Amino acid sequence: MMNGTIYSYTIVRSAAEEFKDQTPYIIAVIEQDSGSRVLSMLSGYKEGMQIRIGDQVKLDQQHNTYQLIS
Amino acid sequence: MFGKNNTSLRPVSIIGVGETKMGKLPDRTLRDLITQAGTTAMQDAGIEADQIESLFMGNFNSGYLCNQNHMGALASEVLGLGTTPTIRVEGACASGSLALRQGMIAVASGLCDIVLVGGVEKMTHRSTEEVTTAVASAADSVLEFGVGATFPAIFAQLANRYMYEYGNCREAMALCAIQNHAHALLNPDAQLHKAITLENVLNGFPIADPLTIFDCSLVTDGAAFVVLAATEVAASLGKPARHIKIKGSGHAGDSLTVASKKSLTTMAATVDAAQQAFRASKLSPADISLVELHDCFTITQLITMEDLGFFEKGTGAQAILDGKTTRNGKIPVNVSGGLKAKGHPIGATGLSQIYELVTQLRGEAGERQLSTVNFGLAHNLGGTAATCVVTILGRE
Repeated sequence: MMNGTIYSYTIVRSAAEEFKDQTPYIIAVIEQDSGSRVLSMLSGYKEGMQIRIGDQVKLDQQHNTYQLIS
Repeated sequence: MFGKNNTSLRPVSIIGVGETKMGKLPDRTLRDLITQAGTTAMQDAGIEADQIESLFMGNFNSGYLCNQNHMGALASEVLGLGTTPTIRVEGACASGSLALRQGMIAVASGLCDIVLVGGVEKMTHRSTEEVTTAVASAADSVLEFGVGATFPAIFAQLANRYMYEYGNCREAMALCAIQNHAHALLNPDAQLHKAITLENVLNGFPIADPLTIFDCSLVTDGAAFVVLAATEVAASLGKPARHIKIKGSGHAGDSLTVASKKSLTTMAATVDAAQQAFRASKLSPADISLVELHDCFTITQLITMEDLGFFEKGTGAQAILDGKTTRNGKIPVNVSGGLKAKGHPIGATGLSQIYELVTQLRGEAGERQLSTVNFGLAHNLGGTAATCVVTILGRE
């Protein structure tokens, strides 16, 4: 499993048509343990959760996205 | 002026400019916008259509937004250019200044003496979702738009990373929008004539944290044109006292996606293009009287002022809070109103910036005229700073 940390992020509140049902959701640049970066939606966000740059995330291989480690 | 070997290139002058009012213009077609801005620029230059040797036409996405491609040919027909060669130039939101750059190369190389450069976009007749989709095509359609990112979501991540590296800049970001709106009050061509407050920005409709609707540039219809001529030819054309010289030009690229950038707080393309333009013009930031820069989002205005060399990295927020970038400040930024309040008609934006610099350098900006204007700098970005053009203009 390729884990990583949040390099930067935002909480998207106004989305394009095909994603608007999922708002609010997190889009983040993940710095993978390999050192390379990737843009991903972060699953597991609930309104009010504290998100910080540097937080660890893990790959959800089933959905091919990263998820927050609570 | 530009390039590695200046000696073989001819100096280039801007001899005419024209633009439409920017805004939500439901009754105006692409043809109509091109006619007004193009004809105004040619009249301003004092030339006829048959003197134009080539047309470079900036347009981002009328193929999607208006089902209209082949913008060079459309503009040629509208402006009566006959068999004059035309080409459409596209580089996302930098399309207008890329067209300028291509026209400049054609003149400087000696291929042409007089060329017309234009930019146009018509956007406001489409829904917000359609415009978002059209604009998103300037990012990676699979790796970015395909995972739920939007342009505000990408630039919001620049803002959050900037705050992580250099401290909270939220109020300075808001002030960029407030200042640009205040500046636009004096510009009759601006889309919005409405002062806004810090509370408006911070409590605005949320888009992508920390950005609200007031941190985002506008959706705009509009066109802008300029006429370029070899400086040695321009002396016998129109009114030479009103001609403005291109002192320096820089054009740089960078990787397309936000995840592939080396840094999210310094835009490599801006730094490179600015260095080219300053080197070519033999000028430094201290020589510049005003800046028209690409404030697609408020955070971009802050980062760009640092990347252009006006403020040290990490000090831009304080400089903005200190009022250094207002029209009465040390280095006035976006006295036109910028993309935030004058408007962002994507393919025309780079030329709309040039229109403002030329108007200020000529001393013809009316109510919004700055008192001392020697050199002006325009900065135009495409996508996530994946394309950048920096142009420095001067009277002499």
